[in-house]
Amino acid sequence: MYGKGLLEGLKITVGHLFGKTITQKYPEVKPNLPPCTRCFFELIEEKCIACGICANACPNNVIEVQSVRGEDKKRKLTGYKMELGYCLFCGLCVESCPTDALNFTQDFELSCYHRDNTVYYFVEGQTDENSVEDKVKKSEA
Amino acid sequence: MEGIFLRIADFAKQLFSSLNFGPEITSILMALFHVSAIIGFVLLNVLVLVLLERKLSGYFQQRPGPNRLGPNGAFQTIADVIKLFGKELIIPKAADKWVFILATIVVFIPAVMLYAVIPFGKKMIAIDLNIGIFYFIAISSTATIAFIMGGWGSNNKYSLLGGMRTVAQMVSYEIPLVFSLLGVIMIAGSLKMSDIIAAQKDVWFIILQPIAFIIFFISSIAELNRAPFDLPEGEQELVAGPYTEYSGMMFALFFLAEYANMVSISAIAVTLFLGGWQGPILPSWMWFVIKLYIMIFLYMWVRWTFPRIRIDHLMHFNWKFLLPLSLVNIVITGIGIKLVNWLNWF
Repeated sequence: MYGKGLLEGLKITVGHLFGKTITQKYPEVKPNLPPCTRCFFELIEEKCIACGICANACPNNVIEVQSVRGEDKKRKLTGYKMELGYCLFCGLCVESCPTDALNFTQDFELSCYHRDNTVYYFVEGQTDENSVEDKVKKSEA
Repeated sequence: MEGIFLRIADFAKQLFSSLNFGPEITSILMALFHVSAIIGFVLLNVLVLVLLERKLSGYFQQRPGPNRLGPNGAFQTIADVIKLFGKELIIPKAADKWVFILATIVVFIPAVMLYAVIPFGKKMIAIDLNIGIFYFIAISSTATIAFIMGGWGSNNKYSLLGGMRTVAQMVSYEIPLVFSLLGVIMIAGSLKMSDIIAAQKDVWFIILQPIAFIIFFISSIAELNRAPFDLPEGEQELVAGPYTEYSGMMFALFFLAEYANMVSISAIAVTLFLGGWQGPILPSWMWFVIKLYIMIFLYMWVRWTFPRIRIDHLMHFNWKFLLPLSLVNIVITGIGIKLVNWLNWF
């Protein structure tokens, strides 16, 4: 019958009219993201054993782990740097972490104006001077 | 409540006659009073309709629509109007200046003139012409010229093409629109608005003429240039058609005329098919407004449900389907009227 599809369409839209809106009023109301959303990382320092497996697993060399050997010959984390500009959020680092110290979070508000701001330091008190690259540069100079 | 507007009119009449200008000037003043009331009604409706359209389109698409300005976005239209007032009026250098400017006026004047014959309620009709519906059709078809004027005056090939497309569509769809009204007029036996309403005292013409109503509804959508027949504008894919070069208040006038036409054609649908202002308990003008907004809701519902159809399908649909159907409807109505008369005669 002609017009059956038209009536079907009208039925659907009137259902939408009285149904709930699916729009999220974003800045006022934070969206409820799915639990496995890959937005940002969180590092639990107490759990981290500074093994560097995450840095090895990363295909883009995003992660840089700095550590010192303690008196008990155990590694102690001193710096954890991520250059998120290169990160493709594959999750291999999170997967490979043996102690579940590295996890994804749902904080997606990461936009920034400068490329420098995409570099994140996860250990408090850590400065860029400790980074390996700088040491290399210094030794070259 | 029933006679509230009539009482206001009487009060104005007494006020004007107490000024002792003589009967001619008093009648001119009264006409001005009517015109300003109608323009007020039109503008008020447009304000409400723009917001209603945006809110409803939002709800139909599962989003809240404008919701920032005022309670639930209620002041959005006011902000839009202020924005349009503030915009610069740009007249292209190569444009045919007079035609370009006149088009905005030519599109708006018929839109307001149409309200002369619309019965807003019991005895609430500006002029109850005995050719009321004929007047309506004649005036509404003059709006077509404004689109070709706008398209030609802009001196822009897209505008001209858009204008020609609009005219082709509007002229074509006017035929089934008028033919669908013929059935109603045949049953009512009059072109006068008040007679047509009186004829629907027992049963509305939408029940006697359902096919005519559907034809009227479809062709009026095309006549209003609304989706799914909004080929003249085609916001998303075509340049805005004849409106391309217009800006600021001149664009707003086209916009205003579009919504004014929507109100007037809904009013005609109410008068001819939905029993006009007749209804129980509530005052007549309130019934008219309720029915009017039901019609407008239908137009909006259709607009935000169906996708735009192609221009050749549009024309095929008109000439090969709607027009023959409306002719058949007239023939069947004629036979029906004869049969009823014949049965009554026995």
